[in-house]
Amino acid sequence: MLDDSKPLFVAVAEQIEDGILDGSYPEDAAVPSTNELAAFLRINPATAGKGLGLLVDAGVLIKRRGIGMFVAPGARAALRERRKLAFEDQFIAPLLREAAALGISPAELANMITKEVAR
Amino acid sequence: MTAIVTTDLAKRYAEVNALDGVTLALEEHRIHGLLGRNGAGKTTLMKLLTGQVFASSGSMEVLGGDPVENVDVLSQTAFIQESQKYPDTFRPIDVLRIAAGAYPKWDQAYADRLVERFQLPTKRLIKKLSRGQLSGIGIVVGLASRAPLTFFDEPYLGLDAVARRMFYDELLHDFAEHPRTVVLSTHHIDEVANLLEHVVILDQGKVLLDADTDELHDAALTVSGRADDVDAFLAGREPLEHTRLGSLATATLAARDGDERAAREAGLDISPVSLQALFVHLTTANASATDPATPVATA
Amino acid sequence: MRIRNVIQLHTVNRMQAFGWPLLIMLVSLAIVLVIGGLVINVATSQGAESLTEARQGMNTGMMFNGAIFALLGPLIGFGFTAMGQYFPLALGLGLTRREFATGTVLVFVFNAAFYAVIVTVGKVIEVATGGYGLGVRFFDVVYTGVGEWWQTLIQTFILILGVALVGAAITTAFHRWGQPFLWVFWIALAVVVVGILAGALLSEGFRGLVVDVAAMGWVPWMVVAAGIGAIGGAIWLALVRRAQAR
Repeated sequence: MLDDSKPLFVAVAEQIEDGILDGSYPEDAAVPSTNELAAFLRINPATAGKGLGLLVDAGVLIKRRGIGMFVAPGARAALRERRKLAFEDQFIAPLLREAAALGISPAELANMITKEVAR
Repeated sequence: MTAIVTTDLAKRYAEVNALDGVTLALEEHRIHGLLGRNGAGKTTLMKLLTGQVFASSGSMEVLGGDPVENVDVLSQTAFIQESQKYPDTFRPIDVLRIAAGAYPKWDQAYADRLVERFQLPTKRLIKKLSRGQLSGIGIVVGLASRAPLTFFDEPYLGLDAVARRMFYDELLHDFAEHPRTVVLSTHHIDEVANLLEHVVILDQGKVLLDADTDELHDAALTVSGRADDVDAFLAGREPLEHTRLGSLATATLAARDGDERAAREAGLDISPVSLQALFVHLTTANASATDPATPVATA
Repeated sequence: MRIRNVIQLHTVNRMQAFGWPLLIMLVSLAIVLVIGGLVINVATSQGAESLTEARQGMNTGMMFNGAIFALLGPLIGFGFTAMGQYFPLALGLGLTRREFATGTVLVFVFNAAFYAVIVTVGKVIEVATGGYGLGVRFFDVVYTGVGEWWQTLIQTFILILGVALVGAAITTAFHRWGQPFLWVFWIALAVVVVGILAGALLSEGFRGLVVDVAAMGWVPWMVVAAGIGAIGGAIWLALVRRAQAR
């Protein structure tokens, strides 16, 4: 359920981010509390709290004292921008590396992508 | 506040040093994992911290006081041990009645719910219970006592995967609602890894590792790739384990800053090391380091 | 001090604490009555003289009737189980040794008083009814006292309490030093017994001394019994405060 290649609290934060990106948590909507998240994911509440804290620090979530945490206005767009930047690092660079190892030229690669999209 | 502080704590028996120079500080309101192989000293440490046995040397402070014969400390401490002996004529209900009186924060309604969930036959003689049902008694006492400091020593021996998961769920749920300090000792490391906030690994009576689980994720990494590349990368580094298969090799090492980037630049694949794997690597490396009969594991 | 919980520990199982000992006692008493009844029955068929003889014979012979140990036996076990079975659970539930020792002594004292009263009541009834009309003895025997009713009360109390304390001390010492302690204990006991026997056989003077001691009267004997109980209790309390879980 959680990506184990990253520290657990980072994976928790990314999972909430995924929910915001795909619209599961619309803007201004409440996200699960630390304890709900911990019980659902079967993780230590401190870890869940740390994950949520990461998103609060990044301005993705807003803490309303005594009520809970809510998705910040504009969070979805901001997240999408940030993920786009990371996309290059996480997907494009390895793709190019593998292509180079197989002797696929950039032009050839672009061609393959266009063909795949058309399919 | 720290719930438990030990300084150079040792317990020597006639034949063996069960615990040797253990210095620890465990924060309150956390779930701590106490891991180690059989005979590493986990149970001895918990018996010392609950005043069941006396230290040979060193000092300890539990909930702000010496636990030995200390009513203030011990009435706030629950120790659920796998090897707990019960009187021959006792039924689970007898144990629950006494526990209800012994622990100031006991919640009877919660105990009743747990009895039902774990299907504990409360009126059958304890000596006729299965190993799993015996564990059930400890789980009910350990959770329903709501003791500010709760030790679970292999609390689910004989329980199946479903019942173990039930225990984790109950523990997390009740811990969230009633924060307390939990020390969980177990062999099911993979199952509990995500529940733990802090981990102590004991080996041969000594502390081998004492760290927050968040830090542990970066504490070790496994690299794999062409044997020559791995060898080149390992120059000047000390692997915990190094195995080779034909022209390919894998190595696990305690990571220092920059190791991950260096490995990536060397064209090696990097994968994280789970708590379970780290545990195995550390204890194995320690065993070969202290036992001259075993060659260092660089096959 | 959570004394109440320690007392609960010993008494939570009512059958074990009171039910079984009393039940076993009643069964044992019933057997003695049946045997007495059979003897009287046979004697009656043989004439009045034989009946009187049988009654008196039984009354004398049964002074040493050990059937009462059906009750005292399980009570002797209280000392062993207290340390062997209840102590580990007490520690496991976070009770201190001091709490356990205090509560357990109270339980011992209460038990000894409870059963001493029962034995005394039984004895009074037994004496008043001429051995239940059969001339048998069950409560009115040498072990629990054949004197006045208050002597039986005191003697039975001291006996039960002393045995419980000594039993607890032996079990605690066994936990601490293991099998070697038991060897030393039994060998020491054997040496004392064999020594007294040998002395009595070999030396006229020593034999006289033994006879004198045996006949020294009820009060000195009670002092000796209470002394042994007190020593056992002191050793037990000293050991239990340093006893470790195993």
